[in-house]
Amino acid sequence: MTFFLDQLLNGISLGALYALIAVGYTVVYGIVQLINFAHGEVFMIGAFGALSTWIVLGTVTGGSTAWWNLPLMLVGGMVVAVLTAVLMERFAYRPLRNAPRLAPLITAIGISIFLQEFVRLFFGEIPGFPDAKAAIPFPQIDFFTGDPVNVGGVLVHRGNFFVIGALIVCWAFLWWFVNRTATGRAMQAVSQDPDTSRLMGIDVDRIIVVAFAVGAALAAVAGVAHGLRYGNIDFRMGFLAGLKAFTAAVLGGIGNINGAVVGGLTLGVVEAMATAFMPGQFGGPSWKDVWAFVLLILILVFRPQGLVGAKVVDRA
Amino acid sequence: MSIDSPVAGAAASGHEVGKREMLVASHVTMRFGGLVAVDDVSLTVHTGEIVGLIGPNGAGKTTFFNCLTGLYKPTSGEVRFADRLLPPKPRQVVVAGMARTFQNIRLFPNMTALENVMVGRYCRTSSMAVTSILRGPKYRREEAETRERAVELLEYVGMKGQGGHLARNLPYGDQRRLEIARALATDPQLLLLDEPTAGMNPQETRQAEELIFKIRDSGMAIVVIEHDMRFIFNLCDRVSCLVRGKTLVEGTAAQVQSDPRVIEAYIGSPEGEDGAENA
Amino acid sequence: MRIPTIFTLELQKRHHRIGRLLALAGGLVFAVSAYLPWAYASGALDDMSYLGGPSALQFLGLALGLILAICATMGLIEPWAGAKGVAPALLKVSKRVGWTRGAKVTGIGMLAYIGVVLLAIVIELGGLVTVEWGGWVALAAAVVGLIGTRLITPGRPPSLERLRTPGWVGILAIALTLLGALLLAAYALNQVDGGSFVVILTFAGVLAAFILRSGLGGWLSSISQRHRTVLVFAAFAVAFLFPFTQNGSDANMSIATQVLIFAATAVGLNIVVGLAGLLDLGYIAFLGAGAFTAATMSQSAFATIGWKPPFIVVMLIAGLISATLGLIIGSPTLRVSGDYLAIVTLAFGEIFRISMSNLDGRDGPDLVHGSSGIPAIPNLNLFGFDFGAVHTVAGIPLGRFSNYFFLMLLIMAVIVLVFTRLNHSRIGRGWVAIREDEKAAEAMGVNVFGLKLLAFAGGAFLAGLAGAVKAHVDQSVTPDQYIFLESAFLLAAVVLGGMGTVMGVILGAVLLKLVPEKLRFVNEYRMLLFGLLLVVMMRVRPEGMIPNQRRVLEFHSDDEELIDEIEEDLPYEFAEES
Repeated sequence: MTFFLDQLLNGISLGALYALIAVGYTVVYGIVQLINFAHGEVFMIGAFGALSTWIVLGTVTGGSTAWWNLPLMLVGGMVVAVLTAVLMERFAYRPLRNAPRLAPLITAIGISIFLQEFVRLFFGEIPGFPDAKAAIPFPQIDFFTGDPVNVGGVLVHRGNFFVIGALIVCWAFLWWFVNRTATGRAMQAVSQDPDTSRLMGIDVDRIIVVAFAVGAALAAVAGVAHGLRYGNIDFRMGFLAGLKAFTAAVLGGIGNINGAVVGGLTLGVVEAMATAFMPGQFGGPSWKDVWAFVLLILILVFRPQGLVGAKVVDRA
Repeated sequence: MSIDSPVAGAAASGHEVGKREMLVASHVTMRFGGLVAVDDVSLTVHTGEIVGLIGPNGAGKTTFFNCLTGLYKPTSGEVRFADRLLPPKPRQVVVAGMARTFQNIRLFPNMTALENVMVGRYCRTSSMAVTSILRGPKYRREEAETRERAVELLEYVGMKGQGGHLARNLPYGDQRRLEIARALATDPQLLLLDEPTAGMNPQETRQAEELIFKIRDSGMAIVVIEHDMRFIFNLCDRVSCLVRGKTLVEGTAAQVQSDPRVIEAYIGSPEGEDGAENA
Repeated sequence: MRIPTIFTLELQKRHHRIGRLLALAGGLVFAVSAYLPWAYASGALDDMSYLGGPSALQFLGLALGLILAICATMGLIEPWAGAKGVAPALLKVSKRVGWTRGAKVTGIGMLAYIGVVLLAIVIELGGLVTVEWGGWVALAAAVVGLIGTRLITPGRPPSLERLRTPGWVGILAIALTLLGALLLAAYALNQVDGGSFVVILTFAGVLAAFILRSGLGGWLSSISQRHRTVLVFAAFAVAFLFPFTQNGSDANMSIATQVLIFAATAVGLNIVVGLAGLLDLGYIAFLGAGAFTAATMSQSAFATIGWKPPFIVVMLIAGLISATLGLIIGSPTLRVSGDYLAIVTLAFGEIFRISMSNLDGRDGPDLVHGSSGIPAIPNLNLFGFDFGAVHTVAGIPLGRFSNYFFLMLLIMAVIVLVFTRLNHSRIGRGWVAIREDEKAAEAMGVNVFGLKLLAFAGGAFLAGLAGAVKAHVDQSVTPDQYIFLESAFLLAAVVLGGMGTVMGVILGAVLLKLVPEKLRFVNEYRMLLFGLLLVVMMRVRPEGMIPNQRRVLEFHSDDEELIDEIEEDLPYEFAEES
């Protein structure tokens, strides 16, 4: 039973991580009907941005791992991630807005490879920064790392507190932002009908940038969470995490923010449970990604509208 | 084969108006969630006759067409064609002998006019990969026939010598005609035309009218959706008027024309809001 | 997009004569400067330190200078010859050539060429002082030439493609062009020095730009339309001759064979992407399936299947297994399309790779020894022909890789045949219709699902064949050769080269594989540049280098002028024959 609860909690925290990334896919898709497949790389960049912030801080603090490092790292990661996402939108995606679907997709692949390689090749070139060609240890911030905490008989990995807490805070923030601010309402309007919104005086380009930025900020939070959870980061981490988060976004109905959160949590729990309880030779960690991909295919083929979405009728 | 007859093979069936039931749609209902777009509509079309389908915008005419041609699977009811139950698969409907045009023209814009018509021949030819790669005798024969037939059909609809133009660059009237030629290329016995004269000027409309008559005279049955009343009443042997998904009146052109309910549906009653200006 | 310029039309109108003279002088001086020493010492490039004896690379520069000089002169000669009535037949041809456009692009190219050369000298010898006076003369000449060409008024568009030439001229031109390409490629490949390779690549680029801008390209493409079979046979003949230019060295043949395997797979992928319009991001799995099948049935001591049929049979089985996988991967196309389909194929590719690494006897049945794969795959022996041995033909020894090169060439021929024949058939028309409007295609009786499956299965079958050979060329098969990046690489070859054309994809594949192989420093930044290239290409020229006309239309659906232009030049298969 304890093992089951362990796995459940493990799944929820994994799912929270996916959910934070999935929001980025969903927000952008909701506004421009574009699947930004380079979003996984934004998540990776966010993690590296946070690490860089900590290293720079370390020149003053001597490598302190006190709790107050964390907010600064989050901000640093967000700045870098948001900057990356905004530049990517401006220079790669915006010129292709009316191009055939193939063009932005190939562009996204190009951006992904470029960003991965950029980090791999040049991160270590900055004086005082570690070489990024292999995995880099992530700073062990006090309280969020260290021995697991015993909560009612269940040993909880401390990183889990952070990621679940972050998801709750971000979700609340998003709800407030989308429903209670002028920009958020403008986003809703653009997602309904961009042309009419433009006629109503909404700066659609700006809204699209905001969508990319919001997604990137949450991805950066996820990047930090990933670092705390696994203890290290590497330039390849965006590929798989991005794909799984995309699965989560589709699972929850792409374009739907709450759906992305629900989808992420569902996927995380299913993955953790499947890894732990799948019997026989085809279970266990070496097959878990295969099952995740199988799930992705099944969802895309049989429920592309998500678990709760309604079927959209296309007219002849 | 004579150019005056677009009906390949089946041309022999000749001009025997109302002799044989071609298409029998009975109690077709199409629901989208709570919306009932087509509500228990029945329609029978006989060989060699032109049936008009009229009604205000949003009456469910195009949805009904989509049910007939397999684009939608009707919620209930059945469609029989030449005494066989039609499966709701667009391709099998075409193979069975029913071809259509679209309300908002759907040509293949980056193909030439000729190629567009040649695509229509797809379902009547059968060379597959191996003979296509080896350029076998069957491939050569079929390819020559396809091309020849496509040229013929272009001439038949009055587009002789235009085959080399890209479909997207054709004038509007020619695009409509090309769509008809493409549909004829599938050797249909029944042709469904969705607003074939929408957006045309009077001269183009008259040409379209002549073309449709010519097709009818070759023995083919035709169902046509139209808003242009003069066109419908000139052309159609029988007319069916749909309002809010239901058959309001069905009868000869004269009967429907003089039916007060039809006039009301179009211009009269307070609920007939959006239909009037399109009539 | 207009680039702001100081060379306005008024300025050009006033000074175009000076411009021509400057361009002429620049070109001539540049050509002569090839005889001057460009480098201080012999260590840079191919030794440019002699006075009076140009090195091979300097001869390339000389050629550029002469091209510019000729282009500039023709603008002066034409009015004169027209007035005097000299050689009216030649003048007619000359009037169709875009001399001015050619001059302008050569002016830029000359500067780029000398820039790359001087940069290479500076890097390889260390410091600016290593550039000899001749190098500076050449640079000055290039600058003068560039200013001159900028001052010339814009020229008329070339119309060489409408030139009627006798058949033999066309065939001869095709043969000569391909022969030139072969020699240039052989020459470039034999460079050990990375700098020289870049210089040759720059020269090739400038030459290609000149050919395109001056209208020669249009002419070449119109004659290759007319003599399609000649072109194809000549291209294969040239490729066949390639091993004979290597003097028995197998180093380049190893690269060439890998390039050929890559190109063949890319052409196979082009059936799926270019013709059927389906994005497949897991295509490398089919190559992998072929390779693993061949490996497990090979004579290798590590092969896990006891049955070891002859290679022909193995190849067919490999193709069929790949095709079956293709059917499975293609089956979601019944319900999924667009971006989602791309992700589905990507997921299939990853599932294939991870499954192969897991089939190691611990996490699954021991079929391929997991991530260590199957090593020690012996060389092929077909009908007594040993692919591992050196065979001497006409005095030229042909090594192991040459043997495989010939085999791959044969497979390439099959793939190209399948591609072009399917493209120009009922099936090809169906694919275009599906790409254009899937719903309408279905409503016109096109078997949409069947044709999509055919594309997937056919493409996979061909990749399986290539994979079977690859297993023997590489001598070992491991799952990490078949990662997503390789699929992206294949897709890039298709996208960069040109969707829907064979020539384009082969060009794209050659560039993508060859350049990193020959350039060590590029190799490190290979993926970075590659990612950037994809992004830039999608913005600047999404249809690829040598595109299919219809693809151009699809990517530029709002450019009315371009559409009309293309409609006028529609190749014969688009038009009505009567």
